[in-house]
Amino acid sequence: MLHRRIYQFLMIYFIGFAALMLVKYSLNLSDYVIPSLSEIWITCRRYFGLYLLAVINTLSVAILGHILSICMATVVGIIGRLTIWIGSFIRVAAYNIQAYPIVAVAPIIFILLGDGLSSRLLIAAMICYFPLLLSIIGVLSEPVTEIEHFFESTRRMNWKLQVKIRAFENTHKLITVIVGSATLAMVGTIVAEFIAANAGIGYSIRIALYQSDLAKILVALFLIGICTSVYLVFLEWLGIIIKRHIGSV
Amino acid sequence: MQRYLFHQIVSAAVSMILVLILAGCAPEAEKPLEEVNYRLKWLYNISVVGDLYALDSGLFSKHGLAVNVKPGGPEKDAIKELELGHAQFGVASADQVIRAVSKGSPIVVIAQLFQINPLHWIFRPDKTPLKTPQDLKGLTIGITHGGNDETIMRALLAKYGIQESEVNLFSVRYDYTPFYQGKVDLWPLYRNAQAPIIGAKLQKAGERFDLMDPSRLGIRLVANSVVTTRKMLEERRETVEKFIEALLQGWQEALDPANTDKAIDLVLKYNKETPEEIVRQQLAATRVLMMPSANFEFGTIDTAAWQQTEDIMLAQKLIPVRVYVEKLLKPIKEW
Repeated sequence: MLHRRIYQFLMIYFIGFAALMLVKYSLNLSDYVIPSLSEIWITCRRYFGLYLLAVINTLSVAILGHILSICMATVVGIIGRLTIWIGSFIRVAAYNIQAYPIVAVAPIIFILLGDGLSSRLLIAAMICYFPLLLSIIGVLSEPVTEIEHFFESTRRMNWKLQVKIRAFENTHKLITVIVGSATLAMVGTIVAEFIAANAGIGYSIRIALYQSDLAKILVALFLIGICTSVYLVFLEWLGIIIKRHIGSV
Repeated sequence: MQRYLFHQIVSAAVSMILVLILAGCAPEAEKPLEEVNYRLKWLYNISVVGDLYALDSGLFSKHGLAVNVKPGGPEKDAIKELELGHAQFGVASADQVIRAVSKGSPIVVIAQLFQINPLHWIFRPDKTPLKTPQDLKGLTIGITHGGNDETIMRALLAKYGIQESEVNLFSVRYDYTPFYQGKVDLWPLYRNAQAPIIGAKLQKAGERFDLMDPSRLGIRLVANSVVTTRKMLEERRETVEKFIEALLQGWQEALDPANTDKAIDLVLKYNKETPEEIVRQQLAATRVLMMPSANFEFGTIDTAAWQQTEDIMLAQKLIPVRVYVEKLLKPIKEW
């Protein structure tokens, strides 16, 4: 699985890279517009270690943000599945808040929380939280009639049991959403770092952009892709274990 | 039959001569305008007032040009657009130009807009009395890592023999809160665009402010200049000349105190978010930065400042080797 993810990423990366080189050499563009192979190689050798540490820093924040958003989305999703007014209110609020662009909200977060870890964490969580929440609300508010009917008719149904039944019946869907939102957590953290943080690969990309240094950005993109792929593989592996465990139960 | 043919030939020849004569007599304005793209460095604000003036007053069209003045922004790079052929003229800072040329970009500088770099540092003189550069020691100074201000501040510290360990360099972004809270003593900003806004806020809070101008301390990093490609200059010199003539006339008129109201109205037309009072202050500050003296010829290229910019970049290893910047300076209008 790891190999498949990595080589898929490498294929996409190098197709994009080759296209860039094709444009550079066919239009005879200078190294300022698109860096040469030798410049990219020199940059890679010089910044690989530094950028790898920055990507690991970003990934660790992204993982924390992802966990935070899964917890938040689960709690809010459980309340949001209710058909009474609070459930309806939470669903509407979730749709509305999702419409706000994070770049507009982020400066407010940084004013309130500063430019440290908490802001990066919150923005990462916010970006991957809403797709998660909507999916979790969708899953938890959809009755599994054939099973629930039995417990309802025997008057043994309570909210915990209802959540368990609906989550159990939609395990595959939930795992897919969680894996899918992991990339959003990574993107969210990078955006947060780009806007205001003082660490992480988003911050390094920002400095590289100030210096119009596309070679650094290409190295950063490579490392982001590799590290995100590894995280996704880990989540997929976790999903398989959970499914196996549920299957055996 | 022969007579008929003769008549046909004569009438065709007469018609052709008439058409040629009429075409020659057609007024100049009816000739189609030559279309060019001009990429600015930043969004529409006071720093592009002259560009907008030249456009709005019809100066470009009077010179036979249809100029698409396109706003810039953080992700827009005029030099890259010139190389890709998306624009024929652009605005770039000296460090951008030198960096690009060091990587083989075929660009030249045809006019210099700012004579004094607008990048200054704001501070509270009551809390941070700054009399000499040595007073910087022990202060918390805001810089944007990778930005122009970092280059200027590092050059300033090096010039006055201040070790970086003797100051606290604080990484800044758009949010001024650390400065308002007093966590940072000096904050970088653009004197003509941001200083009137931030200054007004400080004054409203009953605080005094002052600005540290690096050029007064001997660091003259060149800011915005007009650039084009070497090919454009060689192959379409007449277009370049017409463009620069119209542009510089636009700037000269926009900064003329007699045209203050017109220039302010123009900025407000393109940028409705900034209050008129602030734009008025911004215009006055821009005039000082672009026209240091009354009879100053707008657009003059300051070769010494360009050379100093290159020296600073070389010393800070922002470029690997010297590019001999004076070779890139191609003033269209000889002063």
